[in-house]
Amino acid sequence: MVWQSVCVKCKSKELTDCHVAKFHYVHFAPRNDVSRKMKNSKDHITPPRLAEKLLLWFLKDELAEEVLGDLDEKFYSTVEKHSTRKAKRNYWFQVFNYLRPFALRSSKVRNLTSTLMIGHFLKISWRTLLRNKVFSSIKIVGFAIGIAACILIFLFIQSETSHDKHYTHQDQIYRIANQYSNSGDFGRWTNIQGPFKPILEDYIPEIELVARTVFWKWADVGENHIRRSDSKSNIYENGFFYSDPELLEILEIPMVYGDPKTALTKPYSLVISRSKADKFFPGENPVGKQVILNDNTEDPYTIGGVMEDLPNTTHLQGDFIMTLVDRKFGPGTTGWCCSNYTFYIKTIPGADKQHIEEKLVSIRDTYVMDKLRESGVTDLDEIQAYQSYYLQPIRNVYMNPEEIGDYQKHGSIELIWTFGGIAIIVLILACLNFINLSTAKSIKRAKEVGLRKVVGSFRTNLIRQFLVESIFYSTLSVFIGLLIANLSLPYFNQLAEKTLTIPWLSYWFIPSLIIGAILIGFISGIYPALYLSKFRPIEVLKGRSSSKAKTSFIRNGMVIFQFTATVVLIISSLVLQKQFSHYMNQSLGYEKDQVINILGLGSMAEPERDILKEEILRLSNVESATLGDYLPVSGGRITNAGYWIDGRKELDPGFEAATWLVDEDYMKTMEIEIALGRNFTDQTSDGEGIIINESMLQRLNLENPIGARLIDMFDAKFTIIGVVKDFYFESLAETVRPLAMRRGKGSTTLSVKLSTENLDQSISGITKVWSDLKPNQPIRYTFMDERFKQMYNSLLRAKTLFIVFSVLSITVACLGLFALSAYTIEQRGKEVSVRKVLGASVSKIFVLLATDFIKLILISIVIAIPIGWYLMDGLLQEMQNTISLSWPIFTIAAIIAFGIALLTVSSESIKAALVNPAEKLRSE
Amino acid sequence: MKETKLGDFEEVLLLLVGILDKEAYAFKIAEEFESQTERPVSIGAVHSTLNRLSEKGFLKSEMGSATAERGGRRKRIYTITASGEKALQDSRDFKMSLWSQYPSFAGNLKFGL
Repeated sequence: MVWQSVCVKCKSKELTDCHVAKFHYVHFAPRNDVSRKMKNSKDHITPPRLAEKLLLWFLKDELAEEVLGDLDEKFYSTVEKHSTRKAKRNYWFQVFNYLRPFALRSSKVRNLTSTLMIGHFLKISWRTLLRNKVFSSIKIVGFAIGIAACILIFLFIQSETSHDKHYTHQDQIYRIANQYSNSGDFGRWTNIQGPFKPILEDYIPEIELVARTVFWKWADVGENHIRRSDSKSNIYENGFFYSDPELLEILEIPMVYGDPKTALTKPYSLVISRSKADKFFPGENPVGKQVILNDNTEDPYTIGGVMEDLPNTTHLQGDFIMTLVDRKFGPGTTGWCCSNYTFYIKTIPGADKQHIEEKLVSIRDTYVMDKLRESGVTDLDEIQAYQSYYLQPIRNVYMNPEEIGDYQKHGSIELIWTFGGIAIIVLILACLNFINLSTAKSIKRAKEVGLRKVVGSFRTNLIRQFLVESIFYSTLSVFIGLLIANLSLPYFNQLAEKTLTIPWLSYWFIPSLIIGAILIGFISGIYPALYLSKFRPIEVLKGRSSSKAKTSFIRNGMVIFQFTATVVLIISSLVLQKQFSHYMNQSLGYEKDQVINILGLGSMAEPERDILKEEILRLSNVESATLGDYLPVSGGRITNAGYWIDGRKELDPGFEAATWLVDEDYMKTMEIEIALGRNFTDQTSDGEGIIINESMLQRLNLENPIGARLIDMFDAKFTIIGVVKDFYFESLAETVRPLAMRRGKGSTTLSVKLSTENLDQSISGITKVWSDLKPNQPIRYTFMDERFKQMYNSLLRAKTLFIVFSVLSITVACLGLFALSAYTIEQRGKEVSVRKVLGASVSKIFVLLATDFIKLILISIVIAIPIGWYLMDGLLQEMQNTISLSWPIFTIAAIIAFGIALLTVSSESIKAALVNPAEKLRSE
Repeated sequence: MKETKLGDFEEVLLLLVGILDKEAYAFKIAEEFESQTERPVSIGAVHSTLNRLSEKGFLKSEMGSATAERGGRRKRIYTITASGEKALQDSRDFKMSLWSQYPSFAGNLKFGL
């Protein structure tokens, strides 16, 4: 007899060759069986394949051969005796009759039971939840708070890291930066000379498009008053910047109206965003219409196109792009002297970044050096030796890991780390709470575990049960956490200055939440599961748990961890709070509380501004007023220039100083103290006079500064007429830079010092003067102290953030402590009653019960103080002008933590101490 | 400790194994059971019981030859062990002793022993 046989699993014809032959006892196909054909003409009849497959799926491998054989024999005998249909039906019947424990694969047995048990586990979880409402809600709410914090922070981090990743030519878009590198001295910045543009276009074929942009406060960049040419009333708008026409193509800005190639090619053309177009030209196509900026009717702008609003996820923000093409003066016209532009480029596909960088340097050396020399740049050797170029990929611009100096708003990697760290800490606290509460309740579950074991539950089943339970809790918590996150999102957006939304419809959001819920449930449930399932039935059913000391050690450890984290957060909040108020109350060297800045004078002619100043000075409450655009608070103009002592320009490296144009009333209005020399006298004289601050004096290293001559980078010469005391004109977190003040007049801002506290009256007076002079433009003013505060927004945000998360963490930790104390005290109920019967006072009992927890809190405080000190010291090291870390901060933090913990513990302790002993002991 | 008493179904199967001798494998036993008792039984039930009897040590088994009806698969042939024989004997003796005490038949019945 010749068997033509094939193993079903691996198609091998030789039994010995079959790699699984040992286990999958060869399934020989009867179909190919020659002898079978001879014996039985019904060779096409075979047992139902599906039934066979089912059988093989659940049947133990070692039984496969004999069982299949028996069933085949049965099948063919039925076919012969009865009918094929009956045989097939019978085959199915036989297969189902093999669903018996002895024949099933062992893995199938386990899975089968546990699948069947999940419904039961969930039911038990739900009942446990209902039985201990306080405990369960603490567990779930604590968890939910942690999860809500995590969701919010995740959304924040996700939005921060997803900037500028939406371009189709992502890898071809760069921003050019200068790079200076000289033994340890390293810096990168964006400013580049304007005439570089044609050179790049002509000599580097890898660069397809170049666009210069201006984002710093130059000419009309930033805020302006704008009106349609057919309207009279000026409207204040923000978000203006200059650019070459190519920017629209490079940054792939989608257009609503107009062609991106031509929208900015005509002189004085302007592209506005869709939302601004809807505001100024509702329901019409504004292309070709004219708008007037700051009442400058000589140079109206023509709208060349309307772009879609720039998305939140790009570094580039603004609503009005003004062209740099063919302007008469200012932006777009400067030559080799000045680095005024930020360059964006688009390369050809596949261009090598490093290659272009090298080319940039060689082109600079061949074509640019001469031009620089002609325009009077002196440090050519240094440029040649140490300066090179760096191409920053567009996706890096927002987070700016290269720390390139520019004028954009950036995300902060530190903030992301802090946020992320806090999220993880809060989540860990919540998980620990869960673990803690689950093990604390273990005695209550111990009987259940004991009984389950007695009726035959394996430890694996119990572990599975507790894991299902904890995943059930965490899923519930994720749901509630999502709700909390949704409700608190507006506040969070305010705090983080973001416009985040919960991405309900994203394909990844719901699945990742579910996976998160399962994962968190698993992580926080695994310890309780292992712990609870370990109980020995006899011991627990007798009412004794043997491993009590060990678990309370772990539980105490968790309480200590929670409170340590909490105390560290409290310390951080306190330090930041103190630092912030330190800044706010710092004597700055100038007056900010009584000064109002009237803005938007740019739309007035110069004589009008003088009239405004005179009229305002005539008001009774006004002490003095100054026309000056440079302010020691945020939002003012910033200009820098290089200075040398006259005659030493070729010898010394020189240094950069902030350069302000101020009038003779500036010092008086701002109450800046003159240490040496004198103020400017009036607008006609002192054209060459310059007033410097003390830190500039230090840089100049002059013994006798008054009368000394200075020269600047444009070879203009000045005589020092006065020295002012240093005052903080930039952030207090930095040292005071050199500052040079020259005589001049501002064109956009009038600062007014009031002599009275009665603000309303003064402001209404000023408003009247304004509206008489400029009826078509509403007055716009700010208080200088508010603009001062804005400078510390990031610190304020950090502070608020730490306070919010301290409160969160305290809440979570206290929930845990509360539940734990409630539990422990309940355990000791009888002991307390016996003590009371024997004459212990309420206060004694309170001390007895609270001491255990107080010890833990004290330990956490002792651990937390050095950690907090270390972290905060690191933070403060990075800032100037900081508070010193002193004991009061730590003491206050300790007292806060201690007080809250004591309150948490004492409510339950006192309740226990006051209870009537008869109640507790009655049942014994 | 394993149960060593014989149930009714177990006893019948054990006897059938003895009767079928070299042909004692699950399918044949089930067929024989059906024809002898005229009660339907599934091969799975028979196999399960044979398995249990093996665990009790009353049966031992080895893989036999393959036949065409089985698609070339071998069958598991069961044979009674000494303790299986003993269990059958005990069961019969026990029943005999019960019968001998049964009043209306006592002394009247001959079992041809």
